[in-house]
Amino acid sequence: MMTVNYLTAAVLIVLGLYCVISQKHLIKIVLGLGITDYGINLLIVSIGFNLGGTAPIYTLSDLMNGVSPVYFVDPIPQALTLTSIVIGACVDAMALALVIMIHRKYKTVDADEVRRLQG
Amino acid sequence: MELILKALGTLFSVLIYPGFLFVSAVGLLLAGFDRKVLARMQKRVGPPLLQPAYDFFKLLGKETLVPSRANKAVFLAAPVIGTASLAVMMLFLPIFGRAPLSLRADLIVILYLLTIPAVALILGGSASGSPFAGIGISREMVVMMAYELPLILVFLAVARKTGGSELCFSLERIVAWQAEHGPLLFHWAMIPAALAMLFVIPAEVGTQPFDAAEAETEICEGPLIEYSGAPLGLFKLNTAIKMFLMTALFCTLFLGGSGVTVTLGPIWLGAALSALLNTLILLALCLAVTLLCMTLVHAVTARLKIEHLFRFYWTVVAGLALISLILVWLGL
Amino acid sequence: MKEFIVHFPVLAVMVLFLGAFLAEIFGFRSRIARRVILLSCVSVSAAMIFALIPAVFLRGEVLTYWMGAWEPAAGYAIGIGYEIDALGLFFALLVVTTFCLSAVYSLRYMERDRHLGHYTTLFLMLCGSVLGLVLTGDIFNLFVMVEIMTFAAVALTAFRGSSHGALEAAFKYLVIGSIGSGMTLSGIALLYLQCHTLNMAQLSAVLSGGLTPASVFALGLMTAGFGVKAFLVPFHTPAADAYTAAPSSVSMVFSGMVNKAGVYGLIRLVYTVFRAMDRESLQITLIVLGTVTMFAGVTMALAQHDFKRLLAFHSISQIGYVITAVSLGTVLGVSGGLFHAMNHTLFKGLLFLCAGAVYYAAGTTDLDRLGGLSKKMPHTTAFFLIGAFSIAGLPPFNGFASKWFIYQAAWSRAVSTGNFFYTVVTVTAVIVSVMTLASFIKVTQAVFFGQLPAQLSQVREVPLTMRIPMAVLSLGCLAGGLFYPFVSETLLAPAAKAVFTPSVYIDAMMGAGTAQAAGVTDAAAAALAVPGTWDPVLWLILLVIVLLAFFLVILTGEKTRGAVLDDGGQEDDGRYATFFGGERALPSHVSGSDLFWGFRKNWDGYFRIAQGLHSGRVNDYASYAVIGAVVLIIVIFLIFGFR
Repeated sequence: MMTVNYLTAAVLIVLGLYCVISQKHLIKIVLGLGITDYGINLLIVSIGFNLGGTAPIYTLSDLMNGVSPVYFVDPIPQALTLTSIVIGACVDAMALALVIMIHRKYKTVDADEVRRLQG
Repeated sequence: MELILKALGTLFSVLIYPGFLFVSAVGLLLAGFDRKVLARMQKRVGPPLLQPAYDFFKLLGKETLVPSRANKAVFLAAPVIGTASLAVMMLFLPIFGRAPLSLRADLIVILYLLTIPAVALILGGSASGSPFAGIGISREMVVMMAYELPLILVFLAVARKTGGSELCFSLERIVAWQAEHGPLLFHWAMIPAALAMLFVIPAEVGTQPFDAAEAETEICEGPLIEYSGAPLGLFKLNTAIKMFLMTALFCTLFLGGSGVTVTLGPIWLGAALSALLNTLILLALCLAVTLLCMTLVHAVTARLKIEHLFRFYWTVVAGLALISLILVWLGL
Repeated sequence: MKEFIVHFPVLAVMVLFLGAFLAEIFGFRSRIARRVILLSCVSVSAAMIFALIPAVFLRGEVLTYWMGAWEPAAGYAIGIGYEIDALGLFFALLVVTTFCLSAVYSLRYMERDRHLGHYTTLFLMLCGSVLGLVLTGDIFNLFVMVEIMTFAAVALTAFRGSSHGALEAAFKYLVIGSIGSGMTLSGIALLYLQCHTLNMAQLSAVLSGGLTPASVFALGLMTAGFGVKAFLVPFHTPAADAYTAAPSSVSMVFSGMVNKAGVYGLIRLVYTVFRAMDRESLQITLIVLGTVTMFAGVTMALAQHDFKRLLAFHSISQIGYVITAVSLGTVLGVSGGLFHAMNHTLFKGLLFLCAGAVYYAAGTTDLDRLGGLSKKMPHTTAFFLIGAFSIAGLPPFNGFASKWFIYQAAWSRAVSTGNFFYTVVTVTAVIVSVMTLASFIKVTQAVFFGQLPAQLSQVREVPLTMRIPMAVLSLGCLAGGLFYPFVSETLLAPAAKAVFTPSVYIDAMMGAGTAQAAGVTDAAAAALAVPGTWDPVLWLILLVIVLLAFFLVILTGEKTRGAVLDDGGQEDDGRYATFFGGERALPSHVSGSDLFWGFRKNWDGYFRIAQGLHSGRVNDYASYAVIGAVVLIIVIFLIFGFR
């Protein structure tokens, strides 16, 4: 079951990178970056997942009544994923903003033509 | 009292022997020999031996013009800095094992100190604002890039040979090694390196056929074009000093040894006599090297184009040095 | 005071982030508020970092700070910890020096731009993130800081959106930077999978049990990730564009601390966390990366036509030196690398500020359209020459001292191992140094000397607040070279020691005895001893003696010898005109940007390929990054073997 997760993550990452490398449309490149991000996020969430584990949330009464925290999913990767999602959203937003500005200035979003700095 | 004596001693070494006065005199003498022998090789009478010295003093008395386009400060400071750095450098070269001051500099330091006069020449030319100088400094820099590769290879071969599996860039240790095992030139694996070094010397000094930077007939002395009077004289002096320094460096690296020691009379007399004798031996060796690698080559070749010069140094000369380095690396 | 000093590391970072927040609120309209916020934040932060010097460098302590006092429980680090050892503080010092000077410089330099409130915010965010990055002891915190850094850096690159190529540079930087961050993040995830901790000290302790394939994969991913941040060669492409397009005060920050962040990350990773540098094959891998970086950087720089782009490629090249030296795995090598990192911060910062001054005064950084500025901007010229001499490694400036360390380190590895590879590294380093000199001669000739174009006749020297940071950096360049024994004793030796003693790092964070329990032992690293001898102070004194003698001669002989004529004469007065051989005055036959055609002609094929590779297409750059990372990961797998 987890193998599927890991495989999907790997496929997403590779697909995203392939998209960045092969696509000439700047917005598609940004999408590729996004897909890579999702792959990495899936990878991290999967790392913390334990099959059959409960949520890592215990109220005080649970603990007082002796419900001992035995088997739960690891909360840290979830926190990491949240952070990563937020960062990814910011990066995507900025990339899209840059694409809009580039479109205004260069009148194109083709990566082959946005190359004034070279050599 | 002791401090004053020490300061006076330092002053003496910097300004007189083996510092500024000594290297200038010997350099000018070597330049005179070079010109005289060259003339004889070409069946000319040639100038008197002291002609470079006469020229230098004549230039000191001439008027110095600063072009209106030039940056005056850099234009005038460059030759002085060049001469001063050359004069100081002699203190680091041991004359048969005895570095005049207790400062030991290693080969890497020498390699970089050697670039200072070249950079001074380039900056001076650059500051003159002349387009001819622009081409001249471009060539000077390319020449520098050209000979730096063989030079470092030669240095590394020497360091490997004398140091074995230890880090050995110290000139004193190189000379001491030669005192024990005989001059490096007589170790056959080092002969290609010595040859490469012989090629490096004329390029560093800038004599024909490696004088593309100053090529009088095409770009009117390149960086020196706007110079006149004392600054020009200093640059000419720099070339002469470099002639001596580079040949002395060759002697240190490949013909070093303990030199001779005279045990005659009181200690001070013996020391002075042996210093004098060693210096004379060094001068004779320098003269021989000068004649071999500069005068002879000058007499039989014509100037190389700058791109050919670069290729020559990075293929033939660097190849020679590399052969030595590999041979030495293999323990030969 | 003494109790309060423990909070300084985290406060130094927070002050900057707080400033970023305040600048956005109050600095939007008011110029004074903006300046007060900027200067007070950077100076307070710098003061706090400097206050840590006695404890860390002189007394040899390792400071730790747990956020919210979440100290490790039962051997597990739960909270986020800051850990300041000599290595971290060394880089922190570079960071604070850079951003303080850059902040002062930007006051006047940026005055013609709009939206300066945003500039202040982004600038402070960038400073805070890099400072946090070098001080943190938590690997995920490190990743977050890397992301903030990249984000702010990209935004600052695009800040002058109207200038040539700024947007495009920012976009490329963003794409490549995100690929690097993604690799770092996946590496961190894999490490967490293996070790169930994010604290670097604890990671180091846990990893001493041996590397699993997943942690080897993590090492590969993170090496590539930090390689992207340090702009090593297959990943260097956005650096050239971003440094060119960003405002100079920001370019200085980029080359002074942003790429140092990558270098720091790499050192921390391979030496402290994975302690993998005892494998010679890994050393060689990194040295190959470093050597290729320095060579590719400098040759590309020789081909450039733009002042700042040339400097950008030199930044790449100099980082190659740092990585090469640091990867040598000896105390001398690591010290040399750190020394060069420090010197690079000083002289490259200075050179970028000079480029900024030229841009401020002349409005362009195109080498073909500049010339003769030395008469108009004498101070900038002097500072530039000092910077150029330093980066080219002329004695007695600091670049020489650190390169000298590096050559000796590389060569002593060569002779002690008998491996010819290190000889190639030594020779390459020397040749790269000459080429560096050559390309700065080119800039000197094309910008400061040579002929002054008519449209630049109104150029004036830049304001004082722009010259002060340049003067400070110039002094630093000179002092670092003259007093290198002092620098190496007080700064480099402790920092290098910190690199080689991971057990101290672990114990300080996780409690004494943790390292021993985990079986981490420090290899007995020799004390830093510089084998050669070079006394720059004495050399300088001797040089000055000869110069004084010259001036004495000139002063006493002025009446009798040829007097120096003043250049008050006109160009049309033949005596003061430049020689043209009877022709009309023509511009130089060789354009300033293509000065070394004698050299270029021989390397024609190489330059054609190298320039073709820097095609400017973001897809190409991304593919270099991905291919480079894949190759690096495969090599690292081969080194550690499948198990």
